Amino acid sequence: MSKTFKVRVNGQHELTVDPSDGSLLEAMERAGIETRYHCRDGFCGACRTQVKSGDIDYINEPLAIVRPGDCLACCCVPASDLEIDH
Amino acid sequence: MSYSTFNKNQINPLNEPMFFGNSVNVARYDQQKHSIFEKLIEKQISFFWRPEEVDVSRDRVDFQGLTDSEKHIFISNLKYQTLLDSVQGRSPNIALLPIVSIPELETWIETWSFFETIHSRSYTHILRNLFTDPSDVFEDIVINKEIQKRAEDISRYYDDLIFFTQLWQTHGEGDIEVHGEVHHVSMRELKKKLFLCINSVNALEAIRFYVSFACTFAFAERDLMEGNSKIIRLIARDENLHLVSTQNILNLWQYGKDDPEMKEIAEELRDEALAIFMKAVEQEKEWAHYLFRHGSMIGLNEEILCQYVEYIANMRMEAIGFDAPFKQRSNPLPWMNKYLVSDNVQVAPQEAEISSYLVGQIDSAVSASDLGDFEL
Ligand code: FES
Ligand SMILES: [Fe+2]
Ligand SMILES: [Fe+2]
Repeated sequence: MSKTFKVRVNGQHELTVDPSDGSLLEAMERAGIETRYHCRDGFCGACRTQVKSGDIDYINEPLAIVRPGDCLACCCVPASDLEIDH
Repeated sequence: MSYSTFNKNQINPLNEPMFFGNSVNVARYDQQKHSIFEKLIEKQISFFWRPEEVDVSRDRVDFQGLTDSEKHIFISNLKYQTLLDSVQGRSPNIALLPIVSIPELETWIETWSFFETIHSRSYTHILRNLFTDPSDVFEDIVINKEIQKRAEDISRYYDDLIFFTQLWQTHGEGDIEVHGEVHHVSMRELKKKLFLCINSVNALEAIRFYVSFACTFAFAERDLMEGNSKIIRLIARDENLHLVSTQNILNLWQYGKDDPEMKEIAEELRDEALAIFMKAVEQEKEWAHYLFRHGSMIGLNEEILCQYVEYIANMRMEAIGFDAPFKQRSNPLPWMNKYLVSDNVQVAPQEAEISSYLVGQIDSAVSASDLGDFEL
């Protein structure tokens, strides 16, 4: 089993996420959080999520615009403990 | 400054701005000033599809069984989409190619517009299947007042930029009189028109299709008009890429990563850009009102559709640096998402016939080394 990270979502959900277990979006879905998405492939921007603290890694390079302080949840995984707003 | 189809000056495209620099000469993609456009070209081409691959023959029977108000909703949406793609199949080329100055963006614009023509051709494919003679439907697009209202707003920023570019190309900067009217042509003025035009196109790609998409997928949720729905899924996927390109152009300007003068203009015209977006949102809501004036359809009504427009608008506006203006933060039509997921990721069984064409191509590229462990 690989290393897991704590991810705090919208200031209310505490998730333990294994980065080898799929995207941040999938982790939120497994936790029953209402998510925003369309393409699930990094090119529509619908899953845009604010990263308030911590780092993420992209598993697929996103095409959609990622503004500073944001990430695309469908194609990234946590690279440290995270605090995000989705 | 007149346009040359092959600029003879030695230029370094890596130092050119996206627009209004030296016109492009060599179409080279080994190096890119803004690599995003090269990536978008690749992605868009990988999405290639032909309307004829999608079997729409069953839709004819479904259509006959729709109520009159549902027929009105279905056909009106197709008319509106036909208008949008008629404009998009030509305008990026006519308005933007004469002023673009980096090769990867030039080719992206051509690729983008080409795919819009596929969309246009798919509407003919759908309509020819529903009606022996679809002429009435096409002819109404230029007469119908509700569609005209939108056409006016969609085309005017393009037309304005095109006209000013033509004046500039033939006369250069200065006061130019045409038919008794004086136009002040300056590079600043041209760039402002470009900025407003891209904002208007961005709003088009961002939200103008979504009321129609929602109606299409609401029919599909009832197992109706599924051929049409397959086509609209492919169109929606393409539209997302088009949107990525306009969002990128706007962000590159805003963050000062391209032409510094465009950064100033983006700040100066921020309110106007916001107004363009908000007007498009309003028009989409009015469109929902028009669609449902004879009655709604199962699974959808005007109110929920307007909430959906607000939900989408919030996302789209945040992507270009505006605050989300609407309260609607949760998705009022959760089932929409499954139609908007890219085929590459999850191919639903019913999509098999669409993908097979490309799958065949991929299969044929398997090399002997891939089969190393195979025993016959
Ligand atoms: S869902 Fe489209 S970019 Fe993430
Ligand atoms: Fe289109
Ligand atoms: Fe488009």
